[in-house]
This record gives sequence, structure tokens and C-alpha cells, in this order.
Amino acid sequence: MAEILFELGLMLVALVAAATIAHWLGQSVIPFYVVSGMVMNPFVLGRVEYAPLSGYAIELQAYITLLAELGIVFLLFFLGLEFSLDRLFDSSEKIGKSGALDLVVNLPAGVLIGLALGWSLLEAFVLGGIVYISSSAVITKSLIDLGWIANDEAGPMLGTLVFEDLFIAFYLAVLSAVLLGGGELATIAVDVGVAIAFLFVLVSAVHFGSEYFGRFLDTGSEEMFVLRAVAITVFVAGFALTIGVSEAVAAFFIGMGFSGTDHLHDLERRLIPLRDLFAAVFFFWIGLRTDPSVFPAVAGIIVLLVLVTTPTKLLTGFLSGRIYGLDDRRSVRVGCGMVTRGEFSLIIAAIAADAVVGGAVLTEIVPAVAVGYVLVMSVLGTTFMQYSGLFERFVVDNRSAATAD
Amino acid sequence: MTVYESDLPGVGKKFEIELDDETTLVVVIHNTGKRELFRREGDEDSVKLFELSDRMARQIGTILEGAYFQPIATDTTETMLDDDSLLEWIKVTESSELVGRTLGELEFRSETGASIVSIQRDEGTESNPGPETVIEADDTLIVLGTREACRRVESLAGSDMSVEADAEEDDT
Repeated sequence: MAEILFELGLMLVALVAAATIAHWLGQSVIPFYVVSGMVMNPFVLGRVEYAPLSGYAIELQAYITLLAELGIVFLLFFLGLEFSLDRLFDSSEKIGKSGALDLVVNLPAGVLIGLALGWSLLEAFVLGGIVYISSSAVITKSLIDLGWIANDEAGPMLGTLVFEDLFIAFYLAVLSAVLLGGGELATIAVDVGVAIAFLFVLVSAVHFGSEYFGRFLDTGSEEMFVLRAVAITVFVAGFALTIGVSEAVAAFFIGMGFSGTDHLHDLERRLIPLRDLFAAVFFFWIGLRTDPSVFPAVAGIIVLLVLVTTPTKLLTGFLSGRIYGLDDRRSVRVGCGMVTRGEFSLIIAAIAADAVVGGAVLTEIVPAVAVGYVLVMSVLGTTFMQYSGLFERFVVDNRSAATAD
Repeated sequence: MTVYESDLPGVGKKFEIELDDETTLVVVIHNTGKRELFRREGDEDSVKLFELSDRMARQIGTILEGAYFQPIATDTTETMLDDDSLLEWIKVTESSELVGRTLGELEFRSETGASIVSIQRDEGTESNPGPETVIEADDTLIVLGTREACRRVESLAGSDMSVEADAEEDDT
């Protein structure tokens, strides 16, 4: 149908406009993608009084959801692809310490806020995940843009992200089994059991079968290569979903399976464009299903989260820098860098929105809070990194003043 | 020369090369193939020098290696220790009379006046080889001695010229 193609084109044009503005402002593209989706949705553009314009509003349709789903799958696939257990074990002590510190401060911070709001433990646990996980995509991009990648502060930042990524894989597995399975405690237990069993099979396949993963891609032709890689990823992720296991986590482990093969660089080179395209649609889709008129109702929660979880990340980031033996100045940078939240918080929110257990808190309030929170934190985090000099001077001056006394 | 190599998860690899006490050259190789070069003075921030595409980096790397132009006559790989002794890398050809014989049989040191510091072969480097060590074809002998002693080893090893730079690279 011609209309669908036109609508897809319209969506892509909106994304291009969003990306252009983001680059122009020196910001990450993620919040701008989300806002572009929000602007184009029936709640905003659809309510414009001027009929010819409101006709261009994009309805949430199955095909957009499908493309967004592919965005999630590819985001996690790449996370797995770039994740290496060897790397984790190589510097396991430092990564373990800074990662554990990050976890025991930031996750409970979100959980406690949730409980303080009178939410159930499950709802609070979802909120904890949303505020815990920093944005690998935005932070890594900023590291490269600012040239910090060549400095020592890159070590603790990327190390902590590796820890978070591994944790979030298990977190998502448990969360989606609980939220999407629904029902009695017994059913939930079975769902979690199935999820863990399936993941165990996948992990064993990854561990023992890396040779087969490699051979599967040993094909002379370029089209076959891309087709095979995408086919196995989408097939396994889709199958996982049919048995109630998180597709994102399945994709993560498939990516991990390929990370040990000789094809790592080819996969990165050829599939990154796919990931970037589908991920953009994912962020658009998040915006598309968000009615901005809900923000006033949750603004208080968002402000509270920002006020509490910005300092906690600054603190744990700073201490991670110290664990890596960095000086005050560079440790402050690590703190500034870790503030950004992004894609994973939104993935958690998307799972919550589809939850069959719990009530309106999970399906309405949590997603709205997450979108608002990510919009603030991604801009705030990127800005902190750009102007980290101010924080550095503040901390270093205070420290030297303290020693002078 | 010390090169520090570290992984950058999700980005690629980083190599840090100490140029002198103060200055470090940082090379970031992205998974996409892009290379970025930075210069860092002491504790200062790294300053980006330039970036190269994968193709350009390879081309420039070959130029730096001296593949197109050797600035001085370096047809032998040698390191002068003082005025009359030097360290030389010498490749053993298949037809050499040394092949298949032990250092003991050859009475290597008294015959040539040079000592073998170590032997590089495919499977690794044997440091400080003893009299029972057998010389094989394609070995690279790292020899210490006077210029004349080294020439004698060269003629026994059957190579007119010593190995070029590739042997030395393994060492860095």
C-alpha cells in the first residue's frame, strides 16, 4: 500500500531532521529521535487544529512496532558482539569492584524511590533498573567525540559499562519473564525457569559452539553473510519471544556467540548501519507511543529521580575512577560521563508498558516517567561531559584548599 | 620501546607508545577501521593529531616502514654496541652447512669468534642456546661479535645479506 511507504518515508524524514538538530547542538541523537516521534504522534500533530497538517500524524502501527523490535534486537546483538568474557576476566578485579559499587548504589536508589512513592516491590524494581543502567551508546559516542577515548578515564567508564551490560542481560531475562508471563506465583516461577533454561542452552551453545558460529558465516558472498547473520539473530530472538523469553537477551547471547569468531570485524562493519537504522526507529517508536500530556502528572517523579540519581552516578563514577587509580580530575570526568541514561532504560520501559501483571503504574506511569527521565538525563549527561572542566576545577580547587588548611 | 595495548569495549583497541619521558603517542584503532592518533604530554589531556581511514593508515604505515625508500643503507639489521662489537640478525638458508648440526659439533664460538645470543624460529625464540641446540633452515640467529666474526657467520649461514627489518619487528 502506497500510504504505508509514504508514512515510513515521513518517519525517516522526521528522524533526519531530529539528527540534524542534535548534531548542530552537539547533543546525542537519542532524545531528539524520541522527541521527533512524540511530535509526529496523534497526541501532538494529530491534535493540531489545521487539518492538512494533522493528517500527517503517524499512527502507531504494527509495522513500526516490528521495526522498533528489530532495533531492540540489534542494539542487544551488538552489545553481545562487543562483549567479551575474556576481557571481563582480564581486568575482573577493577571492573568487578567499580561495577559492583555502581550496582549497589544506583539500583537501590531507584528501588527506594519507587517504594517511597508507595509502589509495589516489583514496580520499584523496574524503576531501579531504569535509573541504574547508563547509556553505552551515548557515552561511548561522547568518549570518541571528546577525544577522552585516548585518556585514562576511558578505562573505568568502558569497564563499568561492560559490567552493567552483563547485569542488564540477566535483569531483562528475569524481568520480561515476570512481567510478560503474568499470572500466579507458580506460573511466574515456571516462566523464569523456562527463561533460565533457554538462556543456559544459548550460553552453552555460545561457549562450546563458537567454531560453528564461525563456520556458519564462512560464505564467499557478501549478501549471504549479512543474510545469515541477520537470519540467525532474528530467528532465535523471535523464537525466544514465542516461549516467553526476552528477545533482547537472546540477541545478546547470539551476538556473544559471534564475538569469538574471526568475523567480528566484518559483522561490525556490515551490520552497524542496520543497527543504527532500526535503533532510530525504536527511539521514534518510543516517542510515538508517548502522549506528552501525561508529563505534568509525572513531572514530580521525574524531578525527584533526576535530583537523586544524578549525584549517585557522579559519586559512583568518581569512586570508580579512584579504583582505577586515577587522579581527582579524571575521576570527576568518569562521574560526569556515567550520568547519561538512554536506550536500555527505554527498553526496560517498553517491557513494562506491555506488562500483563500489575496495574497502571507499570503500563502507564513507569513508561512515561522513563521517557521523561531519559530525555533529561541524556541531555544532562552529554552536557556534563562537554562542560566537565567546570566540575574538575571545582573539585580540584576544593581538594587543594582542603590540603592547604 | 614500550607499547601498551588495551581493549576499548565497543570501540576497538588502544596502543600507547612512549616516545620519551614526557610524550606518549596514542593510537586508537576503531572497529570500523578508522585510526585516530593522539599525542599526550605527561598527565595532560591527549591532543588529537589526525585521523585516518583504514586504507590511508595502511598506505602510510607502509611508507613509514620504509618499503618504498630506505633513508640509509640498512641492508643488514644490526645494532652497534660499541666501536667494534655489534648485534646482528642472520637468517640461515636451506643450503647452509650449519643446518642440522648442533652448536657443540660446530664449535661455533671458537670457529667464528661470535656467540649466538638467541635463535628465532616459527614456534618462538630460544634464548641462550646451549651446545646441544640444533640449527635449522630458516632460523634467524641473533649473533653478538666483531664485524669480522659476524661476516664469518653470515657466509656460513649462506646469506649474503642479513634479514631485513621483519625479524626485528618481532622483538618490539
